[in-house]
Amino acid sequence: MAKATPDRLRRRSPRMRAAFPYLLLTPALLYLLAITLYPGLFAIYQSLFVVKFLNWTWTGFGNYAAILKDREFWAALGNTAIIGGISLALQTAIALTVAYFAYRDPFIRGWRILYIMPMLFMPSAVAFIWKLAFNDGRVISDLLMSLGLIERNVDWLGNIWLARLTLITADVWQWTPFLFIIFVAGLQGQDQEIEEAARLDGASWPAIFWNISLPMLRPIIVVAVTLRGIDITTMFTNVYVMTQGSPGGATETMSYFIYRQGFRMFNFGYASAASVLMLIMTIIIAQTVVRRAFHSGKA
Amino acid sequence: MASIRLENIVKRYGAFTGVQNMSLDIADEEFLVLLGPSGCGKTTTMRMIAGLEMPTEGNIIIGGEVVNDIDARDRDVAMVFQGYALYPNMTVYENIRFPLRMRRVPASDQDRMVRTAADMVELGAFLDRKPGALSGGQRQRAALARAVVRQPQVFLMDEPLSNLDAKLRQSMRVQIKHMQRQLRITTVYVTHDQIEAMTLADRIVIMNKGAIQQVGTPDQIYTDPANTFVAGFIGGPPMNLIEGTATGGRFTAPGVNAPCPANLSGRITLGIRPEDCTVGGGQVQGLVYGVEPTGDVTYLSVLAGTKQVEVKAARDFRSDIDVPITIGFDPARLYFFGADGQRIRGGA
Repeated sequence: MAKATPDRLRRRSPRMRAAFPYLLLTPALLYLLAITLYPGLFAIYQSLFVVKFLNWTWTGFGNYAAILKDREFWAALGNTAIIGGISLALQTAIALTVAYFAYRDPFIRGWRILYIMPMLFMPSAVAFIWKLAFNDGRVISDLLMSLGLIERNVDWLGNIWLARLTLITADVWQWTPFLFIIFVAGLQGQDQEIEEAARLDGASWPAIFWNISLPMLRPIIVVAVTLRGIDITTMFTNVYVMTQGSPGGATETMSYFIYRQGFRMFNFGYASAASVLMLIMTIIIAQTVVRRAFHSGKA
Repeated sequence: MASIRLENIVKRYGAFTGVQNMSLDIADEEFLVLLGPSGCGKTTTMRMIAGLEMPTEGNIIIGGEVVNDIDARDRDVAMVFQGYALYPNMTVYENIRFPLRMRRVPASDQDRMVRTAADMVELGAFLDRKPGALSGGQRQRAALARAVVRQPQVFLMDEPLSNLDAKLRQSMRVQIKHMQRQLRITTVYVTHDQIEAMTLADRIVIMNKGAIQQVGTPDQIYTDPANTFVAGFIGGPPMNLIEGTATGGRFTAPGVNAPCPANLSGRITLGIRPEDCTVGGGQVQGLVYGVEPTGDVTYLSVLAGTKQVEVKAARDFRSDIDVPITIGFDPARLYFFGADGQRIRGGA
């Protein structure tokens, strides 16, 4: 009989053979420990103390209790939900609409690079450009004025909703392409026979999209929107560069709140507790959404 | 119900010609089968009738109306796809109802029509299932029901049975034919399986390389093939085609010597069906190459020169390989084809 395995492998001791898979996992585990797990666990640990630089005082769940009574925390949570929710809804709607019109185009592979470009730019650079466009450079105000839509310069930070609008615009501009690319790929991956069958069954293009393509795309939409949603809840760069939470904290997102607590006010324990809370909420929401979507998608 | 007429249809894809100058009349209520090997243009032809492809040249006429510029959704044509193309997010019921909904059939009629169509294909008990929970045969029947539910003018089927196992294929074949007779809908059926073509068709259109080779009833196609392509495509096993030389009323090839019409000469091809050959007789001298008993008949391959000759032998025929054997031809069933592959008629 021919040997299926070389001799070298066969002579390996049983102990070595048992350990081998773990050996292969070690680099990945070390990486995870160093990059994710250790800081994560450290944050949880730190959240149980009142930290003033090297001076740690045990407080148990004191930080958490204080946060839940902190109006600024709830405001930040609300801002994140409003800015993130509107932004996410807008970019999903735009991406789906554009994808619907674009995916049958045989040249889409060629020119979709144009769509991806906003994603390729450095986030902080994008934030500075929008800051210039809205506030410092007044580009957008000038544009609107030359179109005759407004009469004076707009103070984008002078109004709660205008300030939020600038953040939403920047996020939609940069991240709609991400959803668009995924939706186009999903639509192009669908069985073309099904579309043709629907055509012969008398369905118009919008009817096909609404009755067939969209329901079939549902799992992909859920995953992509969830990923984007997680990303949006941690929105920081744009806030930091463009609004710094103004006016009056109306654009202060959770991440910015945590940053301010940790690195402006040096309440490290408090900031850690807030980020642990945020992590827990994100996990619960993402899990629920994904599980729901996939359960009703089947059966 | 409608007749279909194809007038000088040409379909080109760039430099490649998929269908070349095809003209065909399909009668009302006829069951027409387009038969040919893959890539012969049969599916393209069907897709042009459906409106999923545009002919480069020529006219497609359904029920007396030129439909070239009429969109697929407005042609009142139903199609069953090779991959069934059921809507995975809908139940069987919703799948069958979809064409009615899209064509705005009154809601009060929809339920009755869906149930009638489902009963016709014996799917009444599976209406609440999604396609993913059905077997291959059930999916195929659901696709059939969705196609017949709105009583289209024309019924198109693109290799609908090719994904089913052999046993199921046979029973579905009978069901499709029964349904077509019952509903009296003009049907165009595409297949590469000659058994399906022979059993289902009123008329068969044999295509190769984008061109019609022969149009005729299954009997005509079988007994009167127009060329070597048709002869070699139909029959299981297909006709033996032996290239040789005709001189003075004799056809000769290595190991083969048979009578032929005296007016034939030069390089020609002799055709003889396996069932018209008998063990013993003087036309072929060769060696047994293989014996395949199937129960009701035994297939025998004989090596004559370099050419294998297939023979349908008696069910109890058995032999070792490499045993010398002689084969006889029924002289009334010999076919002759010229060097260009076309049939030489008369004589024989």
